[in-house]
Amino acid sequence: MTRPLLSLDGVCKRYPPTVQSGERLRAFWQLLWRGASTGGTPVLEGIGFDILPGESLAIIGSNGAGKSTLLKIISGVLAPSSGTIDQRGSVAALLELGAGFDPEYTGLDNLRFNAAFLGLSGREVDERLDDILAFADIGESIHEPVKHYSSGMVVRLGFAVVASVRPDLLITDEVLAVGDESFQKKCIRWIEGYLAGGGTLLMVSHNMYQVQKLCRHALWLDGGRVAMYGDVFDVTQSYLAWHERKDALESTGPRNSSAPYQVRALDMVGVTEGTPSIACGGTLELSISLAAPDGRPPVALVGIVRADGTPVYGVATDHDGVEPVAEPGGGFRLRLRFPGLPLLPGGYAVRAHAMDPEGLRVHDTVEQSFTVTGKTRELGLVRLEHEWRSP
Amino acid sequence: MNGANRALLFRLTAREIRSRFVGSATGWIWLILNPLLLLAVYAFVFGVIFQARVPAGLEMPFIAWLAVAMWPWLMFSEGVLRGSQAIREHAALISKVALPRQLLVTASVSAVFLLHLAGYLAVLLAMALLGVDLAWSGIGRLLFALASLYLFALGLGLGLSAIQVFVRDLEQALPTLFLFWFFLTPILYAPSLLPAGLAEWLRWNPMSWWMAEIRGGLLYAEALPGLVALALAAAALIVLWLGSRLFHRLSPHFEDFL
Repeated sequence: MTRPLLSLDGVCKRYPPTVQSGERLRAFWQLLWRGASTGGTPVLEGIGFDILPGESLAIIGSNGAGKSTLLKIISGVLAPSSGTIDQRGSVAALLELGAGFDPEYTGLDNLRFNAAFLGLSGREVDERLDDILAFADIGESIHEPVKHYSSGMVVRLGFAVVASVRPDLLITDEVLAVGDESFQKKCIRWIEGYLAGGGTLLMVSHNMYQVQKLCRHALWLDGGRVAMYGDVFDVTQSYLAWHERKDALESTGPRNSSAPYQVRALDMVGVTEGTPSIACGGTLELSISLAAPDGRPPVALVGIVRADGTPVYGVATDHDGVEPVAEPGGGFRLRLRFPGLPLLPGGYAVRAHAMDPEGLRVHDTVEQSFTVTGKTRELGLVRLEHEWRSP
Repeated sequence: MNGANRALLFRLTAREIRSRFVGSATGWIWLILNPLLLLAVYAFVFGVIFQARVPAGLEMPFIAWLAVAMWPWLMFSEGVLRGSQAIREHAALISKVALPRQLLVTASVSAVFLLHLAGYLAVLLAMALLGVDLAWSGIGRLLFALASLYLFALGLGLGLSAIQVFVRDLEQALPTLFLFWFFLTPILYAPSLLPAGLAEWLRWNPMSWWMAEIRGGLLYAEALPGLVALALAAAALIVLWLGSRLFHRLSPHFEDFL
């Protein structure tokens, strides 16, 4: 078995209180005598994972989830409050825009400096200088002070230096987003070549398309904890679905429980508990139970929406001339089947609405979310029948 | 220290030195001119106005007595002060780039020593040209004393820079403390000119021993370093060891407090 390039175990991080001088002084003594300080705000808790050589891992999560802190800890800028980090091989990190650049000096001086931070000797820099300049492609500006650079030029130079080092482990925070389209493409091509050549990548990005393209695994951080870790498609889909659900939750109100026509239950057949998941192209079967005050069968409307509320498809019993079946207990029951579900992977919800028998007004709504899984990079909501033809 | 770190230290030191001259038109001229002008000011103030005396048995102007000790003191005090600020000064770098942090302090202290060493050489040469009888045979002893002084300054710089991250007050207090230290060290005066009771106390000030070492070589022509020089070197190494232990204990936590 290959040994991991990087191995984290139970890593926690608390930012100590530093506002008052008394707190700083206490932390100073605690660190001096015991090597650890107490108190503070936890930002990371119990993070553990391994990165094997040649692997590519993306760290995703909403703002403030602790992604950058985790990268800082891994790259050695920050010490963890507890837990261990084992690391072999060379590491190069591009943590922040213009990290390690001195605005007063020229691009060339800063290039040499950054290369020295990454462990290149002066001679090695001279050998690679032409390659670095060609990659950065900022022309004569290299002789200008960095304070006159645009943020895109800064990131070009920073990435060019890192690329020239070809580290065993490359760590990038959300910096590539600053570069223009053609430079981003160049970086992605470079990273793909680097991964193909056995390089290992650890990246933070909010661009899920980029993440799915470059990484095989993903780690989803939420509130400083690992919410999910595994295959990049599974994790990014759950992450996006979670976001969409959160947005939907903020926009829908509470349920009306005194309505005359009610949805008693909405179940997915074959699912016991938790968020159900269906493979792309699988079968979705719903069992719906309705209540009516007067014994007349209500109209049921069933809709499928993307987790953020975007409608995908809706159909009612009276469209198709179907009537719910009366049950002995006074309710009504229905089954609805979607074979060969064409939904693309992501988070969705099915909504069952109870309408009056005339089908005029929606009285009650019940929603059940589910996830569609699958490994595809197709875009959009549904898979449309298509064929590529030779011209 | 491995090759990459050595290269990085070299670059950091070079940048530190260059940053003093960036933007000034004549740049390096000031490296020589400043010490010479300062020497002229001292010569005027102490030689002409105060008519200060050298200790009995020496045949030279007072300015020679002063200058030989003054520049080593400048190296030491400025080296410690700048070294102790190095971490706070480079806070932006430390929070974004993983690098051996002690190199920042080492580079600061080294840059100060190198700059003042150039000035010191200019001053010594100027005095020799003006006919002051310096004992050049003592240069080896002088360099040995300066080397141990460098290690002493580095040790203090490392320790103080680490403490300064947590205790900001140090930044305010240190310059004043060093001013006290300057006057408690026989630089402007000879220990033999003090009242007997007071001179006793000077032995507790390590810098008075270093000054005696430095003057012993150049002024008294005692060319060989003695036991005192070895003891000072040993003391400097101990301070360096303590300083870097303190530094390494605290340095992983710098980012939290910067």
